[in-house]
Amino acid sequence: MSATIAANMIGADFLKLRKKRGTLIWALVLALAPLLIFFIVRAAQHSSSPTANPAAGGVGGYTDALRLLAMFFGPLAAIMIGTDGGAGDIASGVFRDLVVTGRSRLALFAARVPAALALCWLVVGAGYLLTILGTYLFASGTPTPDGALLANGLGFALLSTGVVCAVAVGFASLTASRPAALTVLIGWHLVASPILASISSLGSTRKIVLSQAVAHFSPVSLGDRGPRGVTVAMGGGTALVVLALWLAALLALGAWRTRTMDA
Amino acid sequence: MSSQPSAELAIETSGLTKRFGERTALDGVDLRVPRGCAFGFLGPNGAGKTTMIRTLLGLTHASAGTMHLLGHPVPSERGQALQRVGAIVEEPRFHMHLSGRENLGVVAAARGPHAHELIGPSLARVGLSERAEEKVKRYSMGMRQRLGVARCLLADPMLLILDEPTNGLDPGGIQEFREMIRSMVEQEGRTVFISSHLLDEVEKTCDAAAIVDRGKVVTQGAMAELAAGGEERHELILGVDDVELALGVLDASDLVLEARRADEGLRVVLAGAQPTAAAVNAELVRGGVGVTRLEPVRQSLERRFLEITSRLDSPADAHEVLR
Repeated sequence: MSATIAANMIGADFLKLRKKRGTLIWALVLALAPLLIFFIVRAAQHSSSPTANPAAGGVGGYTDALRLLAMFFGPLAAIMIGTDGGAGDIASGVFRDLVVTGRSRLALFAARVPAALALCWLVVGAGYLLTILGTYLFASGTPTPDGALLANGLGFALLSTGVVCAVAVGFASLTASRPAALTVLIGWHLVASPILASISSLGSTRKIVLSQAVAHFSPVSLGDRGPRGVTVAMGGGTALVVLALWLAALLALGAWRTRTMDA
Repeated sequence: MSSQPSAELAIETSGLTKRFGERTALDGVDLRVPRGCAFGFLGPNGAGKTTMIRTLLGLTHASAGTMHLLGHPVPSERGQALQRVGAIVEEPRFHMHLSGRENLGVVAAARGPHAHELIGPSLARVGLSERAEEKVKRYSMGMRQRLGVARCLLADPMLLILDEPTNGLDPGGIQEFREMIRSMVEQEGRTVFISSHLLDEVEKTCDAAAIVDRGKVVTQGAMAELAAGGEERHELILGVDDVELALGVLDASDLVLEARRADEGLRVVLAGAQPTAAAVNAELVRGGVGVTRLEPVRQSLERRFLEITSRLDSPADAHEVLR
């Protein structure tokens, strides 16, 4: 398959996602609304009592906003987009028409991942722009992040949401059902992951929890207690291996199902 | 059967079998679809028509047997085979939130750059150019069918496979569709394979057909042959002023195989082709019989179809029909 065809297929998958108004709006709401509320509430609190409440912006505000975007709401938006990317063709019934073109099913699957990532990162990018805007707008004279931190923060947000998005594409392709994939992944992200990470008796087994491995790459301190529970300490190599295993496993399963399922 | 494909066949299967667990949906199907014709794949609901199409297109795997599309073995050369095949399986499905043109763009992306160039002409071919920018969710059933055909045309297909293509169309839409199929065959030289349970539709649209029932191809051939039960059979209905005298003349004639009374008059099976009717008329007149009606009987595919499918109530009957 030529690079032109691959690029066209990715473009077509991106178009399908971009034009799906419901998915796009919800993803944008998830990526933007919490940040907007966060900055407005913190700014109001700070203006009412500047000594008791820190500034909404500055490094402190940036750190908290980045946590919200990269570790909580960004991944939810990524799940929305990734599940649509993975199961959209099957849900609409168009998958069989794509198979009938004679194009390899693996190529059809492979096009879904970069398309979903592209939209996911556009949405998360918008959220990150809002984060920077709030950080500087509401700094109130406190120190602001330097260029290196901003770059690292962007990289972290893209990494954390990108991994979740790719996993969601694979999982939705595996289940061939967007509602099922959406339910399981949101449940995993919001409920199962924090609970598993907080069970200290599980010891180092908790390193396999995706969000814990992702958190390792955060450029800002997530504290002893991360945004959704305990941060499990692990080395960079271990974190990378965990991320790679999650990606490899879910993408391989999604590709296998796409290749073998009756269309 | 030899595994060498015939260059004259658009579709060729041998012993094609598809099982879903204990159930056999296709049972050793041997099918030969000539190139450059409209071919009907006729059978009652649940006969295995859609399974056949899905198997041919690689949407599901065959349990046994071999198949060739446009001379390419499938599934080993499936990609090459499908390059010049367009298909609508069951009802055409689309991304409802995209426009007609965008939906074609999605499939064209998978087919290759040449397919992008065919989007405009394909939309024009099915009369959807002016509505191409509208979202498909606003399309009527007939427009979706036409968009489905336009999607097939992106392959510049030598073979079109259409599964129940007139489902949901109004009479005007059916007529339009039929004309489009005929023009694809007669003017563009394409092969069109149409699965349908609508006998009348197949009879009016197709040059040849196969009748399928319970996963088996019971018979296949040119339409006239099928309707006549495998051999050309020419019959007349006669109205005469003296039935006894007419029967006497006809019984003595070499032109007639059989003559009998029927509700509509006299039913006469000719020994030769249809032009013999004029000679029969002349003989009757010479014999002093006044002929008030002379009507060739159109062999009905429906009658043949019902004969076949109603005889398949037991395995022994099925064997008898296949012989």
